[in-house]
Amino acid sequence: MSNNKDWDIAIKRGVEHNIPRVFKVLREHPYLEDLARKVREGKLEVLSNLDHYIDMTIKAVEKIGGKAYFAENAEQAREIVGKIVGSKKRIVLGKSMVAYEVGLRKYLQSLDNEVWETDLGELLIQFADEPPSHIIAPAVHMTRERIRELIKEKLNIDPGDKHEDIVKVAREFLRQKFLTADIGITGANAVAADSGSIVLVENEGNIRMTSVVPPVHISITGVEKILPNLEYALYEALVQAAYAGLYPPTYINVTSGPSSTGDVEQKRVSPAHGPKEFHLVLVDNGRRKANEDNVLREALLCIRCGRCHFHCPVYRVLDGKWGDPPYSGPMGAMWSGVVYNDYKPSLMCTHAGNCREVCPMKINIPKVLEYLKHKYYTNGTKQ
Amino acid sequence: MIDNELLNFIKRTVTKFLMEDYMPFPVNRSVCSEWANGMNIKKGLSEVVLFTGCSYQLAELGKKFDDILPSLARFKGIERFSSFAKAFYKPRNERANKILRNIAYLLKNSGVDFSYYEDEPYSGTILLELGMLDEFKQYAEKLVNFFVARGVKKIITVDPHTHYTLYRIKELNPSWNVNIVNYYELIKGAKAEGTYVFHDSCLYSRFLGMRDTIREVIKGSGIELKEDEMVTGKETSMCCGGPLAPINKDVSDKIARNRAEALKNVHNKVLLACPFCYANLSPYVEAYDFAEVVKIE
Repeated sequence: MSNNKDWDIAIKRGVEHNIPRVFKVLREHPYLEDLARKVREGKLEVLSNLDHYIDMTIKAVEKIGGKAYFAENAEQAREIVGKIVGSKKRIVLGKSMVAYEVGLRKYLQSLDNEVWETDLGELLIQFADEPPSHIIAPAVHMTRERIRELIKEKLNIDPGDKHEDIVKVAREFLRQKFLTADIGITGANAVAADSGSIVLVENEGNIRMTSVVPPVHISITGVEKILPNLEYALYEALVQAAYAGLYPPTYINVTSGPSSTGDVEQKRVSPAHGPKEFHLVLVDNGRRKANEDNVLREALLCIRCGRCHFHCPVYRVLDGKWGDPPYSGPMGAMWSGVVYNDYKPSLMCTHAGNCREVCPMKINIPKVLEYLKHKYYTNGTKQ
Repeated sequence: MIDNELLNFIKRTVTKFLMEDYMPFPVNRSVCSEWANGMNIKKGLSEVVLFTGCSYQLAELGKKFDDILPSLARFKGIERFSSFAKAFYKPRNERANKILRNIAYLLKNSGVDFSYYEDEPYSGTILLELGMLDEFKQYAEKLVNFFVARGVKKIITVDPHTHYTLYRIKELNPSWNVNIVNYYELIKGAKAEGTYVFHDSCLYSRFLGMRDTIREVIKGSGIELKEDEMVTGKETSMCCGGPLAPINKDVSDKIARNRAEALKNVHNKVLLACPFCYANLSPYVEAYDFAEVVKIE
């Protein structure tokens, strides 16, 4: 539990900024609730025939000139990416929970690559060598005072105390990495099965740079991110941004294969200015098994907006350390069960029910956690 | 964060006591019905029964139990010793008895006809709270048989945990022909006064759909409720920490302190409708159950 005053201050500030902002977004744009309902329907459609949609996605990616891979587990995922990357490369990473889940950054570093997280929160996590404390705000446990000290220590620059100046120092540091990177790796908020496109939503512009500037773009994501078509995948991005509280999102990126142009006699050729290679790695790592379980399947509907964290009384007192990283908070207690077979985090749920109220996917999180508690008592948990 | 030995101890002892004597702790079962002494309420077989589930009577005791659980769990053979204790241990809780008597008066004044049981069992809520579903199913069957044997058609509940537990028991036993209603749904014309901030029970508000019903009764009584979207909204009103107390006392207490602080920023007097919320929040804030501030003539 948190005896850490920093956490209490940081989470209070995070909650006070986020909750009213999401309420306001939803009041001002009532159509978002309809879109959320559609995303749930689309995801359920895919989950009801997951293998078919995985196959469809892989074929669609190949049709547009990309390469697609299916990884059964974390080790396979690391190996696939490792082979594409090789060694002695400079890599920029867009924030990806799945990359964290499979241990990608440290694995690529172990292959003698230079790897930089480009999401500001994730970069701070990398600097501090700490696990993330929130699914979309990984450094929510750090106050700006601590961040200032961290940047001073790692970059030998004192950014000052203002939020704007801290961001400026990070921007200057990362810009040079973007421009000289050999490979960009991102996650995906959604994958369209019909077109093979990946959709990424962001505000910083780091994902746009990561996915466009280096000559190779690799996207790594979970199979549950597949939606039936690009229309639904775009809805997912809008809904994720809204329920995370940053709406309209500054950027929505759609990537369909490597860069291309049709400007010479309308013949579509590749590459153009952006990456000449596009790779999609679809990761299972427990998801298909969870999908076979009627209760756990609900967890796969999560779109990682992180709204449940801020509304959860337990998450607020646990110093961001509830669940197995990167999966924290109520959704993290579910996902610890899905990907790590760890049911113990579920025992900390008080069934307050706030998470269920605010979930855009209407996941009955307390019910899933109650089920995982039951699994803990009957099956035990990882040691 | 979670002590496996402690969990096993709770699972073992609570289940043992419940299956042997319908009580989760070694306590004399008469503590559940002593509120009705001298009230001239029908006893025994009846189609409509007021079922307290022993929540108000055991909430404070449960809190003490949570405090000593870690040391109890290390005390080998404690289960055997405790079996003897239950026959004699009769904790008296005047506050709980007053609340329950007031509820009974409110129901009577609203024209509701009901009986009560002198041998009332505990609801089994702790098993559900902890997610011990196999044991809960086992106890649920015992409880259904208890009510069926007495010909009950309608159960009136007085607290959110008992109400929710019965709702879940009915879900497990769809053929159980019983109507579960809460006293807030039945009382009419309750009178009270004062200004408070209301701490919603998670179960009433978000699991049982009774948020509006309860607020209407409270506001209809003459009480003024102070609201704040960040503290008393359906999505923002937080848990009191109670359900975590047996698992991790420190986390439970910190949740309670956080909740009390947030409520105090809205108003210094807190009104609530759950014995466990009271047990957890009252050390940190001036708290009252609605049923103890209501006027009884």
